[in-house]
Amino acid sequence: MPSKERVLRLLSQGLDYAEIARLLGVPAGRAYLIATGVPADGSDAVARRRGRPGLLTGRTQQLVNPREVGPVERGDVHAWMRERAWSDRRMRQAGA
Amino acid sequence: MSGMGFSWPLLRQLTGKDRLGRAAAVKSPRTGEHPARTAAADRVVKSVCPYCAVGCAQNVYVSDEKVVHIEGDPDSPISRGRLCPKGASSLQLTTGSGRLNKVLHRPPGAADWREIDLETAMDMVADRIIATRRATWEWENKGRRVARTMGIASLGGATLDNEENYLIKKLLTALGVVQIENQARVCHSSTVVGLGTSFGRGGATTFLQDLQHSDCVLIQGSNFAEAHPVGFQWVMEAKARGAVVIHVDPRFTRTSALADLHVPIRAGSDVAFLGAIVNHVLENELFFRDYVLHYTNASTILREDYRDAEDLDGLFSGFDAENRCYEDDTWQYEGMHTVAASGERDEDYDRPAGSMPAGRPEVQGGTGVPLSGEPRRDETMRHPRCVLQVLRRHFARYTPEMVQRVCGVPPELFAQVCRHLTENSGPERTAEFVYAVGWTQHSDGAQFIRTASILQLLLGNIGRPGGGIQALRGHASIQGSSDIPTLFNLLPGYIPMPHAHEHEKMRDFLRADASCRGFWANMPAYLVSLLKAWWGPAATRENDFRFDYLPRLTGSHSTYDTVLAQLDGTCKGYLLLGENPAVGSANSRMQRLGMARLDWLVVRDLNLIESATWWKDGPEIETGELVTSEIGTEVFFFPAAAHTEKSGSFTNTNRWLQWHHRAVEPDGDARSDLWFMYHLGRIIRRKLAGSADPMDRPLLDLTWDYPVEGETAEPVAEAVLAEINGWDAEGRPLDAYTQLKDDGSTVCGCWIYCGVYAGGVNRAALRQPAAEQDWVAAGWAWAWPANRRVLYNRASAAPDGRPWSERKKLVWWDEEAGRWTGLDVPDFEEGKPPSYRPEPGAQGPAALSGIDPFIMQADGKGWLFAPSGVVDGPLPSHFEPQDSPVANPLYGRQRNPARKLYRHEDNRYQPSGEEPGASVYPYVVTTYRLTEHFTAGGMSRHTPYLAELQPEMFCEVSPELAAERGLVHGEWATVITARGAIEARVLVTDRIAPLHLNGKVIHQIGLPFHFGPNGLARGDAANELVSITLDPNSHIQEVKALSADIRPGRRPRGPALPELVLAYRRRAGVTEDTGTEV
Repeated sequence: MPSKERVLRLLSQGLDYAEIARLLGVPAGRAYLIATGVPADGSDAVARRRGRPGLLTGRTQQLVNPREVGPVERGDVHAWMRERAWSDRRMRQAGA
Repeated sequence: MSGMGFSWPLLRQLTGKDRLGRAAAVKSPRTGEHPARTAAADRVVKSVCPYCAVGCAQNVYVSDEKVVHIEGDPDSPISRGRLCPKGASSLQLTTGSGRLNKVLHRPPGAADWREIDLETAMDMVADRIIATRRATWEWENKGRRVARTMGIASLGGATLDNEENYLIKKLLTALGVVQIENQARVCHSSTVVGLGTSFGRGGATTFLQDLQHSDCVLIQGSNFAEAHPVGFQWVMEAKARGAVVIHVDPRFTRTSALADLHVPIRAGSDVAFLGAIVNHVLENELFFRDYVLHYTNASTILREDYRDAEDLDGLFSGFDAENRCYEDDTWQYEGMHTVAASGERDEDYDRPAGSMPAGRPEVQGGTGVPLSGEPRRDETMRHPRCVLQVLRRHFARYTPEMVQRVCGVPPELFAQVCRHLTENSGPERTAEFVYAVGWTQHSDGAQFIRTASILQLLLGNIGRPGGGIQALRGHASIQGSSDIPTLFNLLPGYIPMPHAHEHEKMRDFLRADASCRGFWANMPAYLVSLLKAWWGPAATRENDFRFDYLPRLTGSHSTYDTVLAQLDGTCKGYLLLGENPAVGSANSRMQRLGMARLDWLVVRDLNLIESATWWKDGPEIETGELVTSEIGTEVFFFPAAAHTEKSGSFTNTNRWLQWHHRAVEPDGDARSDLWFMYHLGRIIRRKLAGSADPMDRPLLDLTWDYPVEGETAEPVAEAVLAEINGWDAEGRPLDAYTQLKDDGSTVCGCWIYCGVYAGGVNRAALRQPAAEQDWVAAGWAWAWPANRRVLYNRASAAPDGRPWSERKKLVWWDEEAGRWTGLDVPDFEEGKPPSYRPEPGAQGPAALSGIDPFIMQADGKGWLFAPSGVVDGPLPSHFEPQDSPVANPLYGRQRNPARKLYRHEDNRYQPSGEEPGASVYPYVVTTYRLTEHFTAGGMSRHTPYLAELQPEMFCEVSPELAAERGLVHGEWATVITARGAIEARVLVTDRIAPLHLNGKVIHQIGLPFHFGPNGLARGDAANELVSITLDPNSHIQEVKALSADIRPGRRPRGPALPELVLAYRRRAGVTEDTGTEV
């Protein structure tokens, strides 16, 4: 198991957690936990632990959940909307 | 050698580096071979909890196309990763072995189910709908065009996605069905009336996270900590910052335990309690004077012929005793009047002139009341007919002594509540009210909420951080099922459904219902865009955009009216979509008897709920009142998809639309309601293709071309959301409802949701983590309207546009930039300066001044007095519940004179107060939710984790009541009313203490309402005891306060059960007239 000091040293050299994880052979979330004492998945972390070395200010979930599914755009829906509008001649005339 | 190599943990600990045994030493090789389900998952899908309306975000872990784990998403600004017991059990909800995945069919008279394939079942249901529709079609009713069927009804939607509700409403409306209802009717419809008439919109005025800024939180009519546990964390945040937390409730619960002050109160007496605080505030001049003067109608002068309840012993002027309703003409402002409903132009319309059509208060709750003219004001607020003075007079009799007599609250305890509330309100401080169905479910429920609204306006707490009124809704999308309403009286976005002959042409309808002042003046654009969304190219200017395709109402068609229609044989087909009225609706026996008269019934649910099986194992089968072989109802059971098996949006209790993504395909024949409605419509349209019958045109012209995907041909939910949002003539998604046009060039399925798909981005799916933004969290999900989080937030600034205080700033006028700005999206026209005053005769939004924060109100003001919109009085008055052991000490009238009653042999009312026979039912009963169960139990009583935590029905009684009636803790008791008798395990507890009212001891009985005979956690349903008595505004049932007897032992079985109920009725002298006086 890598030590906290080692992870923090690598961070200070400019590596991010994904790179450190690859280098040390541990999951990125575990590297974050080692460095900060804070679970990257956010569990038990409601109270902010400000000021700790290695702590990320934004979200850390992706370190343990890299296979996240949550799309916000669909091109097929955009095309369907256009088709609906274009098939309504009177609507297009009204909008002209 | 690593520590893992030794088989003994102690050896590993002693020989390895982990000497304290807190890490590797205690991990065996076998454990080491099993990675965490979260680590081994193939993907993590973003979702939302499907239970209550807090809207906790979930991470759904999927391995090998199976859901293997669900946990809270810590990025959520609402839930911060937490889940309550129900949310934490949602894995079992979705993967439970008890879930059915085959369609079941019960032919008429059959003794049992048979399995049939999905395709056949869909075809059969389509045939039943077509046949029933044909047989019951009405072109006219009493000479007025209605173009509808009263033969079909549906119930359900609050647990479904917005997109599913949209397709239900769209398809059934095109079929001519008007009896479309959902749980919102029976949970929070009075909220829409109460908040809407007071402020202009029917939703909660604030959001959960803002509770942390409150200096005083008053929770009443809600057991917040147990019914909405994850949301309650924000109360605790407020408390940690120094806020005072008060819980007013009949029971001492976990909410009370965490509060600074618990105030035990008699169920159903809240108007007296709140009214006395109003009186305290007025008499001691403790109101926020500048706020009240500028932002409320306190200075507005009423008509000379207005008579208050003070003058008429509980009645207001305009009461029509024969029809049990009010004409509101005399309640109007002097110089201003409610725009006449167009029904008044229809001279022979069969309702009293000046009164409102059924369902209209809820519409106006959602939309504001249309007014015209200019009101007279007295800026000194001293005129004897100005609202403030009328208010003083009305509430003068609501004294602390009266609170003791009515509520059982001692004066010293009441004084503490007054002190905390008033000390924590004003420019520097704010107080917030929180309530749930403890306020809504009464025969005058809307007035409970009106009283709180009046109080919060007087204290200047609306539209400000830490202030407002938080309506805690109880279903994942019950707000959404009101916004996109599976409700009889509404179209999407709170546009009213047209009444028969009131609105022959759209022009007349709009003239009647579109306000000429405020933002409702744009209703033509909202309505035309909706009709274009539904009927596309077939809707043109020449044919009135097919306004005639909308079926017409002829009165109340609420779910309780539907039950009566089933009993009298008018309603023949019934669709239950995720709702269980055999347990969850008032007088559940009548619900079952109604279903026993149907030709066909379709039940869609996760499990075999009581509403699906009553014909073989319901209570009436046991008593012999129904015989399975004689029941002609054909029943279909369709297994439903869980929230992890479909995509869609829930609208939470604070108007936030949150998207949940499909994680896996449902098993077997389980399908989403989106799938069911889409394919049902497709099949019916195919069967009717080529029909020349004019009744089929609305269906055949319907836009019904949604794209589908996957093996099951699931409709693309995002396409439905895109239609709800709307697009322009080029098919570009609209950004805001201000872009909507009334010329047919825009499409929009629900105008208040316009913007959720702005830029072609599904904003309900946005998940910017809480840690990366401020507390308003505008980058997480999307809230209507226009992503505003605190409604009426113009009121957070003084009339000059500057914040009332630095501590409580939210939005303010930026003089240099010439616009409103701040932490939230301003709920005000961006460029309208505080100094703006409208020209005489101005219309629409331009008619509102720069100091009118309530922009949906025709006068721009918060309504202390409601000149229209609330049918049982412009001001709240205390009336006793329909069945009550207490005589009303405030007025000569015992009950709400305008309440809605249903005389029926299965719905008898009880004597109350001093009436002979009242002592037969001497105890107050109240019902409530448990942390571990959900409404009628369909989503919790079949779940092993939850059933184990709360296994059976019980009743809470005090030690004193137990001694009085010989009840033993852990043994059985029977509770009896004039409608039914149920048994429950006895829980003797100090949590529900007796109250002392005017020298009389009043005992209360607490009953959870979740139980029924099916599932793993079973028991009798509390709703067997309840009558159908409705609030006349919202048609919500009174289940939070009634009277009953209790005695030790189990209830009788078989025919002896109805005999017991009848024996009680005889002893009490109950007749068909009992309790029905005006």
